[in-house]
Amino acid sequence: MGEKIGIYICECGPNIANKVYIDKIIEKISSIEAYKNKELVIKNHKLLCSIDGKKFLEEEIKQNEFTHLVIAACSPKDHESTFINICKKTHLNPYLFRIVNIREQCAWIISDRDEATEKAIQYIRGSINRVSYQSPLEEKKLDSNPDVLVIGGGIAGIETALSLASKKRKVYLIEKTSKLGGKSAKFRKLLPRQNCNTDVIQKKLLDVEENNHIQIFKETELEKAIGFFGNFEVILKNVKDNNLKTELRVGAIIVASGFKQLNTSELPKYEYTQDDDVYTSLEIEEMCSQNGKVLLKSGEEPRSIALIHCVGREEKGYCSQICCNYMLKIAQYLEQQSSDIKIKEFYRDLCLPNKDDQFFLENLQNSAIDFIRIKDIEIKGNKIKYIGTDDTKKEIEVDMLILAPAMEAEDGATELAELLNIQLDETGFFQEAHQKLNPIATSTDGIFIVGAARGPSGISESILQAQAVGGEILTQLIPGEKIVPEVKVSEVLEALCKGCQTCLNVCTYGAIYFDEDRGISVVNEAICRGCGNCMGSCPSGAIRSKHFTNPQLYQEMVEALR
Amino acid sequence: MGEVKINNFKPKIVGYLCNWCTYAAADLAGASRLDIKPSINVIRVMCSSRIDQNLILTTFFGGADGILIAGCHPGDCHYDKGNYYARRRYALLKKVLETLKLDPERLQLSWISAAEGKRYATVVNEFTERIRKLGPNPINNNSYF
Amino acid sequence: MSKSNSVLVIGAGITGMKASLMLSNAGKKVYLIEKLPLIGGNIIKNEECFPNLECSTCMVAPIQQDILQNQNVEVMTLSTVEKVEGEVGNFTVTINKKARYVSLIDCIGCGMCYDPCPVVLKNEWEENLAEKKAIYVPCPGSLPNVPTIDPESCLQLSGKQNCSACVEACDFGAIDFSEKDEKIKVYVGAIIVATGFDLFDATYLPNFGYGKYPGVYTAMEFERLFASNGPTSGELILRDGVKTPESIAIIHCVGRKDQGYCSAVCCMCSFKYAHFLNQKIPDAKVYNIYSDICVPDKSYQKFFENVKRESTELVFQPSTDKIKVTKNGSGLDIKYLNGKGMEETISANMVILSLAMIPGKETSHLSKVLGINKDTKGFFLTQNRNIGSVETTKSGIFVAGCAEGPKDVQNSIIQAEASVSKVINCLE
Ligand SMILES: Cc1cc2nc3c(=O)[nH]c(=O)nc-3n(C[C@H](O)[C@H](O)[C@H](O)COP(=O)(O)OP(=O)(O)OC[C@H]3O[C@@H](n4cnc5c(N)ncnc54)[C@H](O)[C@@H]3O)c2cc1C
Ligand code: SF4
Ligand code: SF4
Ligand code: SF4
Ligand code: FES
Repeated sequence: MGEKIGIYICECGPNIANKVYIDKIIEKISSIEAYKNKELVIKNHKLLCSIDGKKFLEEEIKQNEFTHLVIAACSPKDHESTFINICKKTHLNPYLFRIVNIREQCAWIISDRDEATEKAIQYIRGSINRVSYQSPLEEKKLDSNPDVLVIGGGIAGIETALSLASKKRKVYLIEKTSKLGGKSAKFRKLLPRQNCNTDVIQKKLLDVEENNHIQIFKETELEKAIGFFGNFEVILKNVKDNNLKTELRVGAIIVASGFKQLNTSELPKYEYTQDDDVYTSLEIEEMCSQNGKVLLKSGEEPRSIALIHCVGREEKGYCSQICCNYMLKIAQYLEQQSSDIKIKEFYRDLCLPNKDDQFFLENLQNSAIDFIRIKDIEIKGNKIKYIGTDDTKKEIEVDMLILAPAMEAEDGATELAELLNIQLDETGFFQEAHQKLNPIATSTDGIFIVGAARGPSGISESILQAQAVGGEILTQLIPGEKIVPEVKVSEVLEALCKGCQTCLNVCTYGAIYFDEDRGISVVNEAICRGCGNCMGSCPSGAIRSKHFTNPQLYQEMVEALR
Repeated sequence: MGEVKINNFKPKIVGYLCNWCTYAAADLAGASRLDIKPSINVIRVMCSSRIDQNLILTTFFGGADGILIAGCHPGDCHYDKGNYYARRRYALLKKVLETLKLDPERLQLSWISAAEGKRYATVVNEFTERIRKLGPNPINNNSYF
Repeated sequence: MSKSNSVLVIGAGITGMKASLMLSNAGKKVYLIEKLPLIGGNIIKNEECFPNLECSTCMVAPIQQDILQNQNVEVMTLSTVEKVEGEVGNFTVTINKKARYVSLIDCIGCGMCYDPCPVVLKNEWEENLAEKKAIYVPCPGSLPNVPTIDPESCLQLSGKQNCSACVEACDFGAIDFSEKDEKIKVYVGAIIVATGFDLFDATYLPNFGYGKYPGVYTAMEFERLFASNGPTSGELILRDGVKTPESIAIIHCVGRKDQGYCSAVCCMCSFKYAHFLNQKIPDAKVYNIYSDICVPDKSYQKFFENVKRESTELVFQPSTDKIKVTKNGSGLDIKYLNGKGMEETISANMVILSLAMIPGKETSHLSKVLGINKDTKGFFLTQNRNIGSVETTKSGIFVAGCAEGPKDVQNSIIQAEASVSKVINCLE
């Protein structure tokens, strides 16, 4: 069966018509010897993207039963999708169609009409050659499993489970300790706006425990996960009894493994022992929620307390976002506990990035709390040495010190990242797929990160992120619906692959795996996004990007160099 | 005589542009009606990382006087790190060109974002001028073989 | 009555666009309305986004294109909400759609009509740093790439004079003076409010000299001045024609005290500007005059430290409201109180004010139309705001992005995603 290629040149009103000689283009292309073995239909039209133009094209394609279609018009960014829709309507495979940009990148930039005509001919010829080498790619529809696995039973994990569990979607929630709730369950009041206590969290805890569509595994960790978005197979293991395993199939995995506080003994400027009355903010929260009061080791009430912000910020290289805020909250607890306590708050910057925070600060600034801005600070037991903004050095002693250590990713993040084939960033937290546009996804489709595992965040932020994951999964992993992965993917040619595995390392998405039996690399087409990086990297030329093959690009190039 | 030859010389440049940034910049240059030398012939690829050594060498052996590879700025690659790989391959290619006695200047890598229509025009025009001064690809003139 | 499967999204900034695309993916019909003639919101005014300095156009243009080509999303530009009746599952919304006078179907965006138009206007989208005609697109690359006619200044439409210069220039018959403003009714099950923010009006604080001295710029003005698709194609030419300023003072937190909150992005913006300036004019002296450094993301401090090392001199002063900008010859003096409470002075030819983000102009009106509440700062109020929420005070109406309060792009996106989850659950 011979090729029959339709070539349509859009005049784009005067935009193309007045800048190139369309009749010359048609004449030239019709007379090319090399195309004699192909059947070409070449026509021009005033405006192909108009309603008339689209109708015209549709009829032309149907009538002529083209095998391939080339449209010389504007940029693919403008109307490629318009013409693809026409292809779909007429059952011409859209991958056998090609749009040639003779407007933006030809007619509009080349002032000499003859030169522009030449260029247009060159581009159109390149595309006529190229389409013959294109293959009719098909969308693949994959079944998917709507159920999800949530790793971590803190507030972020709980909220994720609650946003997703439904009659049609089961949620498996795993927690490595024996209790759900994470750290927030230990707080007396919630960050950051004070007028709410931990009832909210207790309520959510109850909701999770009672929800029929949520299955909770306590003292459980992830052992293995393989697969891709819509189809993961995971194995869970019991922390105490490693032989106790559970196998599950899920469509997505959400990492909500939380944070820990920096170990202050790593910081030389903070010298104290277990016997000193020096506490971390979390220890104070726990003390408060247990005793309702902050007390010294001796059991007495402290008379003077220093709160120190930003402990380890410089060393870690990031601001933990919420410490200023909760330190103000703790100062308020203390003030309410007794008006006799002298409270000094040592800070460098006040970072209060929420619209309601500053109001709270201003209230406290009007109280007896002493806010001291410092340039540097050192502690030894209960003694504090600091340098103020006026560069003077001062020393004081207090009964009790409360530190706000930097937040760090929870232990085990590295292992988890490896198991799931996702990355940690340089701060040690999990890395986003795209920091700005895709902040809760990871480079592996179907694996998401929420809460403090993703980066320092408070309860509000964690809850919002959990709901955000809800949004992503509810719109991408719909029960009963299939998933359609990218079509223009890459493939490994078995005959050429030497098994060097270079490609495995360059693929950002982990789309390539090594088939030990056959000794070759294989692209998982459900994951591949078609960037072509693997193809660029393969020393044996064994990879083929299906819509950007070498022969295809070569055809374009030959015309460019004619 | 040599002078005349150079003046009439119209370089053939192949531009491998990434779909997401530089191709969009080329469109913006068009929408802004900037004057760009017809020397360049654009071939669109999804990412600068798609460009392999063979393709570049074939393009030179096919007679290109210059090749421009252009993509997103470092950190902006639509596929995260593709352009870093492109940069690495580019550095290697430059060395290969030397061994082939092809002036490495004939191959250029540029980062041009979608908003930089003007810069796209400048890069192409300046590159064209540079190639014009270098003269035709010696391989093309059969002086190499 | 069965629930409507459609959703109304108000505001086509990054937040509104993200939410619309997600909803469309789940098979919802989306009406995305935008009051301006172009979609994209504030982020497309930026050349690059902190902290990775990614080109905003590269980031956002593919999203804008997706929106315009999406079959499930009906975009209505030049549109605002006039009336909302009903309740969750069944809202009847009346949209006030202004005439564009240029057909979105027939116009191909060639731009031939601008030049012949005799009316020259200030271009507010370019922060008045550029001009436009009565028929215009706000900036090159605007999407949809179809001009709008400003009916008040167009000679023909305002009845001042018979003019048809643009009609004659248009080969596509795309211009239609008879187009009328329309009222459109749509039925939706839920509403997402993503109307974004405005910037604090710097003329309220005369001590900073904005509007009085041409060398004083707002942050947004600087963004446009620096943008390669902006009024000067990214060249730093000041209002008085001085090219390349030698010294620049960037003042943080302008308006923070007055508004009563920190806007969370201004410190990073200010450091971004220091970096930009250093790149363009390596010899320039740049000062960042700050009171608190607020860099609330795991990746932000590193950016700040790089800028501190390479691009700027940090100047601490505890009371921004005491800063005074005055004229000194052809330059400017910035007087402030230092950490010891003593007055000091910095001289510069350019001052950039990092202004507080404030509620969008229409927030009050919109809150009445929608029947939802505002918080004490004038942003939309959410329920249980102490534990993070996108639910407004009315069931079925959600708020996301800067309409809820100042935030950066990633946090706006997170709220967009969260609101989508709520919408889907409430339409089940
Ligand atoms: C100077 C400056 C620089 C910044 N730089 C960065 C940066 O580098 N990185 C970063 O992460 N963040 C940055 N930000 C923050 C960033 O701009 C915001 O996070 C982001 O734009 C918020 O998106 P949005 O969609 O919520 O709001 P917007 O971008 O404001 O979009 C809202 C949209 O709604 C429309 N609208 C408003 N009211 C109505 C109505 N009543 N009816 C219909 N439509 C309406 C508006 O016209 C607009 O198109 C910066 C902010 C400023 C002020
Ligand atoms: S084309 Fe890109 S995404 Fe696909 S396998 Fe190769 S490197 Fe990975
Ligand atoms: S009618 Fe005249 S004034 Fe009005 S937009 Fe057209 S050219 Fe401008
Ligand atoms: S209105 Fe007409 S002249 Fe103006 S941009 Fe559209 S098609 Fe071109
Ligand atoms: S997508 Fe542009 S360089 Fe990778």
